[in-house]
Amino acid sequence: MRQKTEIIPPQKEGALSVRGASVSKTLTAIKTLGFTHVLMIPDSESRLLHQAIGDDPDIHLITPCREGESVAIAAGLWTGGRKPLLVIQNTGLMEAGDALRGCGLGPKVPLRLMVGWRGYGGAQAGRMPIDSAYTYTEPLLHAWGIPYWTMMGDEDLPMLERMDRTAAETSLPAAVVTGYAFRS
Amino acid sequence: MTMTTTLQWPLVSQHELDFDFLAFGMGHAGDFGLGLALARPERKTIVLKGDGGLLMSLGSLVTMGRYAPGNLLVLLMENRVYEMVGAQALPPRADFTALARAAGIEGGGATGKGKVERITTIEAFKIELPRLLTEEGPHFVVLAISNKEPLPPVRHTDHAGRIRKLRKGLGVE
Repeated sequence: MRQKTEIIPPQKEGALSVRGASVSKTLTAIKTLGFTHVLMIPDSESRLLHQAIGDDPDIHLITPCREGESVAIAAGLWTGGRKPLLVIQNTGLMEAGDALRGCGLGPKVPLRLMVGWRGYGGAQAGRMPIDSAYTYTEPLLHAWGIPYWTMMGDEDLPMLERMDRTAAETSLPAAVVTGYAFRS
Repeated sequence: MTMTTTLQWPLVSQHELDFDFLAFGMGHAGDFGLGLALARPERKTIVLKGDGGLLMSLGSLVTMGRYAPGNLLVLLMENRVYEMVGAQALPPRADFTALARAAGIEGGGATGKGKVERITTIEAFKIELPRLLTEEGPHFVVLAISNKEPLPPVRHTDHAGRIRKLRKGLGVE
């Protein structure tokens, strides 16, 4: 049985930042870290990032139909020597559970995930009802033993590097969780 | 490959580039193969998967229709049952060849040269295989099969070790 992954608590100070990381700075960080492919299905919060990655000639964008596919395709890319990034809304993360188990956690594939935390902004603003996608995101990451860091604005972009390094060092999935929509 | 084929394949091959992996994400052998084929365009990637597994991720066909590279060969084992767990029947009207075509694989994939075929005899498969291994694809081939032999026992192997063995075989680790 694999050893339990250390859970690193999210950075609370991130919630105080300007809401949402900028698309251009996020894309620059992704390219600086050497990602070759980004797998993502656009959602309300990530649509601008999806467009920017699609327009960038230096990085391959793959848009599957469902997130379980994304995880398995990413595992294949990594096995073949590439470096994929999964941009995935929390709802998609929930759908992709078996793929994450079978293609990431079990075979120790260091999947890098950028998880959109749908419902976070509303919950912070006290809007009711609370989005259940918000409620279950952190417990799920904890249950899978996936370390994660929050990315609420541009000043949290270094968390991408920390997530990337952790995945490499542990050869297991690691994540950043984005609380707000990417902004232009 | 996943599920039933992972039990039978090791009886005929133990190559370092084989990746028969029972515990993989259900229905995602083709997706993994797609990623591998994209990563290693200089090699042929062959996926063996079952029709029951395909039903677990039908959207994968659409993704292949858009992105599958010319070096991807998917062999769909069409036995119309969930063989490994008791041979329960699949939905009888599902037409996997038509589904693959409608998903855009025919004339699609990254090359725009995707092909969808159905082969119904072992003799025909022997004739077509050399072409399938050399011709630019992607190829999605439905193989009508039936199994009359008892399945070997399930072996759960070292999953992390298996994927690293494959990476070593590919020269990336």
